[in-house]
Amino acid sequence: MARNRLRHTGVALAVLGVLGTILVEWMVFFWVPTERTMGIAQRIFYVHVPSAWIAFLAFGIVALCSAVYLWLKDDRLDMAALAAAEGGIAFCTIMILTGPLWARVSWGTWWQWEPRLVLTLLMWFIYLGYFMVRRVTENPEQGKRFAAVVGLIGVLDIPLIHVSVLWTRSLHPQPVVVKPEGPTLDPEMLITLMAGLAAALVLFTGLFLIRYTVECLHREVAQRRLGV
Amino acid sequence: MSDPRPLAVRETDPSGSPTPTLEARGLVREFAGFPAVDGVDFRLDAGSLLAVFGPNGAGKTTLLRILAGILRPTRGQVLLDGNAVDVGDRQWRRRIGVVSHQGFLYGRLTVAENLEFYGRLFGLSDLAQRVPERLAAVALEDRARSEVRTLSRGMRQRLALARALLHDPEVVLLDEPYTGLDAQAASVLREVLSALKDGRRTVVLVTHNLRQGLELADRVAIQVGGRFRWIEDRECVEASTFEALYRDVVEERA
Amino acid sequence: MDYLRVVWTVAGKDLLIEFRTRERVVAMGSFVVLVGVLFNYSIDTAIVRPQEIAPGMIWMTIILGGLLGVGRTFHLEEEDGAFSGVLQAPIPLDALYLGKMIANLVILGVVTVLTFVVFGLFFDLQFGSHPFVLGTVVVLGLVGFVGLLTLFSAMSARSTMGESLLPILVFPLLVPMVIFGVSATNRLLAGRPVSEVAGNVRMLGAFAILSVAAGAILFRHVVEE
Repeated sequence: MARNRLRHTGVALAVLGVLGTILVEWMVFFWVPTERTMGIAQRIFYVHVPSAWIAFLAFGIVALCSAVYLWLKDDRLDMAALAAAEGGIAFCTIMILTGPLWARVSWGTWWQWEPRLVLTLLMWFIYLGYFMVRRVTENPEQGKRFAAVVGLIGVLDIPLIHVSVLWTRSLHPQPVVVKPEGPTLDPEMLITLMAGLAAALVLFTGLFLIRYTVECLHREVAQRRLGV
Repeated sequence: MSDPRPLAVRETDPSGSPTPTLEARGLVREFAGFPAVDGVDFRLDAGSLLAVFGPNGAGKTTLLRILAGILRPTRGQVLLDGNAVDVGDRQWRRRIGVVSHQGFLYGRLTVAENLEFYGRLFGLSDLAQRVPERLAAVALEDRARSEVRTLSRGMRQRLALARALLHDPEVVLLDEPYTGLDAQAASVLREVLSALKDGRRTVVLVTHNLRQGLELADRVAIQVGGRFRWIEDRECVEASTFEALYRDVVEERA
Repeated sequence: MDYLRVVWTVAGKDLLIEFRTRERVVAMGSFVVLVGVLFNYSIDTAIVRPQEIAPGMIWMTIILGGLLGVGRTFHLEEEDGAFSGVLQAPIPLDALYLGKMIANLVILGVVTVLTFVVFGLFFDLQFGSHPFVLGTVVVLGLVGFVGLLTLFSAMSARSTMGESLLPILVFPLLVPMVIFGVSATNRLLAGRPVSEVAGNVRMLGAFAILSVAAGAILFRHVVEE
C-alpha cells in the first residue's frame, strides 16, 4: 500500500537523519576548527543555523499547502501542512533555545533583540496560532480552513516583520553564508554547516512523512468511528 | 446492505407534473465522511408547500441549508423550473427566502430598520413603500419604530417572515418556525403562512408540529437518517392516522 | 456601485448600533484613560521623561484598546444568529468584510483621537509641528491593525476561546506597525523634519494595503461553511 511505503520511507529517512545528526555532532566537536573571534561557543552555529533554515522552509511548505488547500479543498494538502507545521515548530523551538544559549556565552546576556531571533520567536507564535485555531473550533472542517488562513497570513507577514526588525539596530552576527560575495567560512566550517543542513533536512523529511501517514490513519479511524 | 421495508413506505417520489418548479436530485452532504443528508429526491410544483417531518438528527436542517445555499452539497443537484441551480451562487439567493428558528434580526435596530437593512443588501429600491406594506401584512406596522429586542418571540417570528419575503422570493424555506411560540402566536403564524400559499411561491416547511404542518401541506415527507423515508401528496394522507404512521416510519429505521 | 452600496450598508448598520448602545466606545474610552493613569504610576518620572516613551505608550494603548473593542465586532452578530441571515443575502463577502472593517476603523479612530488627547494632557506632549503627517501615520497604522483584527475576530467569534485567541494570532503580525508607527510618532513629536519619516509612512502604507487585501481575500474562507 502506498501509505505503508511512505511510512517506511519516512522511518528510514528519520533514522538516517538521526545518524546524520550524530555524525554532524561528531564533526562539530572533534573535527571542525574553532572560530577565531567567537570561540568554542560558536559551534552552536552548526545546530542553530540549519534549524532556522528548516523552520522557515517548513513554514513555506505550510503556506503553500494552505493556499492550495483553500483552493482545491483536498484533505491531503491539509494533512501535509499539518505535518510540516509540526516539524517546523520543532526546529523553530530548537532555534529559539540555542539562540539565547549562544548569546549568553558570547555576549553575556540571555536575550538580545537580534532581528532573526525575534523573527523566529514571532514565527513560533504564528505556528502556535496555527495549531490553536484547529483545536478551539468545534467544526473540524472550519478548523482546517482557519489554520490555512493563519498559515497564509503568516507567510505574508514574515517578510514584513523581517524588514521592520532589521531596520532596528542589530547585534546579530552578519550573514556569513548567504552573502553576495559567497560564503566566507573556512572550507571545513562550510562542510560542517552543509552537513548539518543536510542531516536536518533528511530528519525533517522523515518526520514529515511519518507524521503525514499517521494523520492519514488518524482521520480514517475518526471517519470509521462516525460511520458506526 | 438491504433493509427490509413494508410495502406502504415509498422512497421514490410519484409526482405527476412534467416540469416541477423545485426539484432535488440525489442530494448528499457529508461532514467528515458522515452523510447528514444521504440522497434526497423530491419534486414540487409551483405554489405547493412541502412539509418535512422527522426526528432530531434526521438531517432536515442540513437539507434546508443546502437548499438555502449556505452549504454546498457533496453530491446531487437542485433544479428550479428544470434548470440546475448552483446553490452557492448569489443569484440563487435572490430567489429564496429563509425563516429559521433563529431570527436573523438585530436586537438594537428597530423593526423597520431591520427590514431596511436587508432591503438595501438585496438592492431593493422602493423601500419607503415596501417596508410599511410588508409590516402591515404581518400585523406589525404599529411596532415599526420599536427596537427588536423589545418584541415577543411571536412578533419576532412574524418580522423574520416579513424579512424573508421582502424581496419576493420564488422559494421560501422555513426551519421549525413554530419553535418557542405559544398557542396564540402559533395561530397568527399559521394565518401568515396560509397567506404564503398564493399559487406563486413554492414552500418547504420543516417542522415538528405534525398538526400545523399537515394543515398547510400539499405534499408530506418524513425524513429519517438523511433520507426521505416516505413522501406523498397530502390527499393521500389521513390526518387522524398520520401520527401513528409517522411513528412507524421513524421507529422502523431504529 | 452595488458593491459600494453593500459596504456602506454594512458599515452604516454597525455604526448605527454602536451609536445607540455606545458600548464599545465607552468601554474602550474608559480603558484608554485608565491605562493612562496606570502608565503614569508605572514609570518613575525621576528617571524617565514620559515624553520620551509617550509614543510607545500611546500605540500600545491603542492596540490593547482595539483588541478589547474591535474583537467584539462579530459578537453583536451572533446574538440572534443575525450573521447567518446576512450571509444568506446575495452579497459579495469581501464587501461584507470591508463594511465591518470601516465601521471598526471609525470606532477605533474615535478612541485613538481620545488616546492622543488624554495622553497629551497627562504627559504634556506637543503635537504641533506636523499634524497632518502624524494623522497619516496614525490612520495607516490603524487601517493595517483593524484590517487584521476584523479578519481574526471572525475566527475568534467562532472558536471556544473567543477573544483570548486574538493576541496569539494578531500580535506577532503587529510588530511592523509598532516599529514604524512608534518611530514615526517619536520623530514627529520631537519636531524632526517630515523627510525623516517618509520611509516609515511607506512601510505603514504597505502594511495597511497587505492587511486589507489579505483580509478581503481570505474572509470568505473564514465565514463560509
